[in-house]
Amino acid sequence: MVRKTVLLVAALVFVFVASTGVVNAQSARDYINIVGSSTVYPFATVVAEQFGKTTRFKTPKIESTGSGGGFKLFCAGVGVEYPDITNASRRIKESEFEKCRQNGVNEIVEVKIGYDGIVLANSKKAKPMKISRKDIFLALAKNVPDPKGGERLVGNPYRTWKDVNRSLPNIKIEVLGPPPTSGTRDAFVELVMEEAAKSYPWIKTMDKKAFKEVAHTIREDGAYIEAGENDNLIVQKLDANPKAFGIFGFSFLDQNGDRIQGSFVDGVQPTFEAIASGEYPVSRPLFFYVKKAHIGVIPGMEGYLNEFTSEKTWGPEGYLADKGLIPMPDAERMKYRADVSKLRVLTALNNQ
Amino acid sequence: MVFALLPKKSPNRDGGEVEIEKDLRVEDMEATPSGQDGPVLVSRENRQTVGVGTVENPRMTCRNVDIYYGDNHAIKNVSLDIGRNEVIAMIGPSGCGKSTFLRCLNRMNDTIEGCRITGEITLDGINIYDPKIDVVPLRAQVGMVFQKPNPFPKSIYDNIAYGPKIHGLKGSKSALDEIVETSLKKAGLWNEVKDRLDKPGTGLSGGQQQRLCIARTIAVNPEVILMDEPCSALDPIATAVIEDLIDELREQYTIVIVTHSMQQASRVSQRTAYFHLGDLIEIGPTEVIFTNPRHELTQDYITGRFG
Amino acid sequence: MNKDDSKANKKVEKRTIDIVHQGLAKRYRAEGRFKFYGLAAIVMSLLCLAILFISIVGNGYKAFRQTYVELEVFFDPAILDHENLSAANYSGLVKSTLRKMFPEVKGRSEKRELYKLVSPGAAFQLRKMVLKDPEIIGRSISVWVPADDDVDMLIKGYFSTDAAENARRLSDKQLAWIEQLREQGKVKKKFNTTFFTAGDSREPELAGIWGAAVGSFFALLVTLLLSFPIGVAAAVYLEEFAPKNRWTDLIEVNINNLAAVPSIVFGLLGLAVFLNFFGFPRSAPLVGGMVLSLMTLPIIIIASRAALQSVPPSIREGALGVGASKMQMVVHHVLPLALPGMLTGTIIGMARALGETAPLLMIGMVAFIVDIPRGFTDPATVLPVQIYLWADSPERAFVERTSAAIMVLLAFLMLMNAAAIVLRKKFEKRW
Ligand SMILES: Nc1ncnc2c1ncn2[C@@H]1O[C@H](COP(=O)(O)OP(=O)(O)OP(=O)(O)O)[C@@H](O)[C@H]1O
Ligand SMILES: [Mg+2]
Repeated sequence: MVRKTVLLVAALVFVFVASTGVVNAQSARDYINIVGSSTVYPFATVVAEQFGKTTRFKTPKIESTGSGGGFKLFCAGVGVEYPDITNASRRIKESEFEKCRQNGVNEIVEVKIGYDGIVLANSKKAKPMKISRKDIFLALAKNVPDPKGGERLVGNPYRTWKDVNRSLPNIKIEVLGPPPTSGTRDAFVELVMEEAAKSYPWIKTMDKKAFKEVAHTIREDGAYIEAGENDNLIVQKLDANPKAFGIFGFSFLDQNGDRIQGSFVDGVQPTFEAIASGEYPVSRPLFFYVKKAHIGVIPGMEGYLNEFTSEKTWGPEGYLADKGLIPMPDAERMKYRADVSKLRVLTALNNQ
Repeated sequence: MVFALLPKKSPNRDGGEVEIEKDLRVEDMEATPSGQDGPVLVSRENRQTVGVGTVENPRMTCRNVDIYYGDNHAIKNVSLDIGRNEVIAMIGPSGCGKSTFLRCLNRMNDTIEGCRITGEITLDGINIYDPKIDVVPLRAQVGMVFQKPNPFPKSIYDNIAYGPKIHGLKGSKSALDEIVETSLKKAGLWNEVKDRLDKPGTGLSGGQQQRLCIARTIAVNPEVILMDEPCSALDPIATAVIEDLIDELREQYTIVIVTHSMQQASRVSQRTAYFHLGDLIEIGPTEVIFTNPRHELTQDYITGRFG
Repeated sequence: MNKDDSKANKKVEKRTIDIVHQGLAKRYRAEGRFKFYGLAAIVMSLLCLAILFISIVGNGYKAFRQTYVELEVFFDPAILDHENLSAANYSGLVKSTLRKMFPEVKGRSEKRELYKLVSPGAAFQLRKMVLKDPEIIGRSISVWVPADDDVDMLIKGYFSTDAAENARRLSDKQLAWIEQLREQGKVKKKFNTTFFTAGDSREPELAGIWGAAVGSFFALLVTLLLSFPIGVAAAVYLEEFAPKNRWTDLIEVNINNLAAVPSIVFGLLGLAVFLNFFGFPRSAPLVGGMVLSLMTLPIIIIASRAALQSVPPSIREGALGVGASKMQMVVHHVLPLALPGMLTGTIIGMARALGETAPLLMIGMVAFIVDIPRGFTDPATVLPVQIYLWADSPERAFVERTSAAIMVLLAFLMLMNAAAIVLRKKFEKRW
């Protein structure tokens, strides 16, 4: 009995070791390897699935690593063990671009795919709020300019929205939002908090570090509740608590329009059209970056790029729009499609 | 006449058998009168061994054996011989170190954490604590029945057959069956278990388990058998069976038996060693120890005045 | 005076049994209290468990049924070119079928709304039918195709139709069409086989857990094959053979520490060692299993050592006493007795591995993978990761699918624990 068990284990270990050998034999990869932003993930996956189901190629594998994590992997080198494409909810940074170069990733094709709006939303059971970015800043920053006047920062004294601005409702400030690790938080801070902070000339002229300190630090006294990365959870909580507001990507508002509504920011409601036209101020472009050296090596790369940049995908009527992606204006789409078909590589970051 | 043995702190010598032989006869007495009219007894304070520990042509010899459990000095400088074809009984109050001494005769104490042994123990002239000695054949040669019955949690049959199996003694299934049967018969257990050999050994009664362990030990035909209170849980009839077995085995083998029953010791053994608090107090022919002890402690014990 | 004293003494001096009786009530009260606390604790935990189950099942049971729409498809030879059947325009076929069913629909945007009633999976389904049997071209067949997730949600009653039209996922027109189809009996809820047979998808109605389940299976198989023999061997060595000294103490402390290390750390280790140093592929269940076995090893070693320690020393002595070698003692006597405990530890470790996502994040198993993995090195994901990914998806229909996936995961856990109990029973029978 014991001997049999030993034999069995030995056999299994052998099979296992044999299968390990396969790893090293597997030098070519027959599927596209994509990493990057969790904001782009819901869009890129739709394209990948469509591509996989309608062509003879395998469905690309997409990892949700965050934009920064994506660049780190993407820029690690050229070869089948490195990703072919990385998604990003922001442009590649100078430092990342440099890192890519150091590792021999010289030829990168940049593709903008559309825009994503960040919304401040509440339950439909309550009234929609009309708010300015400055109000949001005053409601959520840890330190705010002294309400009594003077160029001085004080700990955030506001308890209700009405304290912030008389025209706002008299309810407690309670905002559910993403944690600092999230790309949505980055974008929110950049597009709302920084912009609002800049509207105070004396804050704007602070040195870079001090300015960041002011604009990026969100209050920790319970008015802002970090709700985890899961935006669905925020939606559910808003539905249950009509006094609370939530911060998340537009696609979640789009999917739950019967339960929640977006607040007017600087007078504009976050609708598909308003974000597409650029009227709604809190929106950011989404990108993906392609390793040119892998095109022609990894099967299906051209096909995937073609699928992504075709009108039926990213156009105003395309299926990505159904998923909540805000398409680029026609001219911009044309430009990027042309870039992709010519495989125009990114040479320096300042040329846009 | 009183004999005192070995000096207390005699160093551990190898091949010192002859010398010790001489030592044993060195007379150095320190007798104190104890009773008014009885023979002169060695006083209770004197803890040197009384009596002749050696025999002609011994099977095993122990010289200056000290055993420690950590800081606990459990056996103090014990020297004695175990002769061929003899039964030697070890008696003494509880906790005096009988089991400890017994266990070091086949190196069972190796398994106990912190147990340390000094001195020399030989089997057929070979030092069993020599680093080159393999304990597996040693234990096959020097078998042991433990104080607490410890049958394997396997069937009765497997309990007995295990030893012969691992030593490759079995020729065939029928040969193995035979070994099992004779072993059980010798231990007086056969009639009780012959219909349930495939039932677990742990399901037997305490006394049955004890006999099962005896059967298990004799199944590998050891040449020296160490028995630690083999009859402690047995009724008089079963005890008689075991004592008959011991008698029978003695014709070929050597047996060391620890017992709390002085009747048993006098019935089965030729020589008796009396231990007290780690010291070997007295050793000699069984009838001498029980009829004519030379040490006060021995006398106390056998007359029931121990306390 | 003296007399009094002795009298008092006599009175005070009670029989033991009286003292026993006196304290008895108190003792029983203490026992009663303890029983009550124990019972209350059990009831509490059962209650929590029940609430958990009810909420998960309540959220998820509807996912096991999916809304289907019946289409009268004419496999139009004009659309289906015999030369190139696999690349034909099947979604065009679906669209033309829908147009035929609602001939009154005119205009681009209105048509688009109409097309959205059925899942994009309908096209894949028709393609499969044609490729399987090209004979059907030119014939008219009625086919049940999955409805779009929004329609599914409506039929299941998740959408309120009172909201303003622009706040709804479905427009008034779409609602009218669905109503019409319903009246014709062309909308039906059926058992959702897709959920159990498909890989991941971004369309909730096409998404399934089979891919993740297979990934979990491969990863756990690797984990089991690595961590059980290694863990048991390590435990046996440490417990039975290793000398007890400062080094083994150090090793023991470290193993105990490892068992408490957050699992993400093992992911980082796996990334550094298996991926970056040995160059194993990312997202492979092989690597996932290796990382998980790093995590389960300490658990198995600790449980196995405890199991070995609980084997009574008298059994070991018995074996040694008849002349067994140490190895024989361990293999013949100690291991069989310790095996049930070892198995329990292994199953606990495996169950933990089954529910783990954090370390897999580092090695790329948190990914969108549609194809069912076919080997240890194919990209794969695992059940808890699938749950995590779905929970984070914006589509409403993924909410119920998340719960359904949790139910499947729980079912797997129960299966594993049941297996543990069965195995233990089996081995214990042999004493
Ligand atoms: N495993 C052990 N670890 C530490 N000390 C021990 C161990 N076994 C025995 N001792 C100690 O050694 C001494 C002798 O014990 P031993 O078991 O040899 O007594 P014994 O003569 O067999 O007694 P009994 O007649 O009760 O069986 C005792 O003081 C006991 O406490
Ligand atoms: Mg004893």
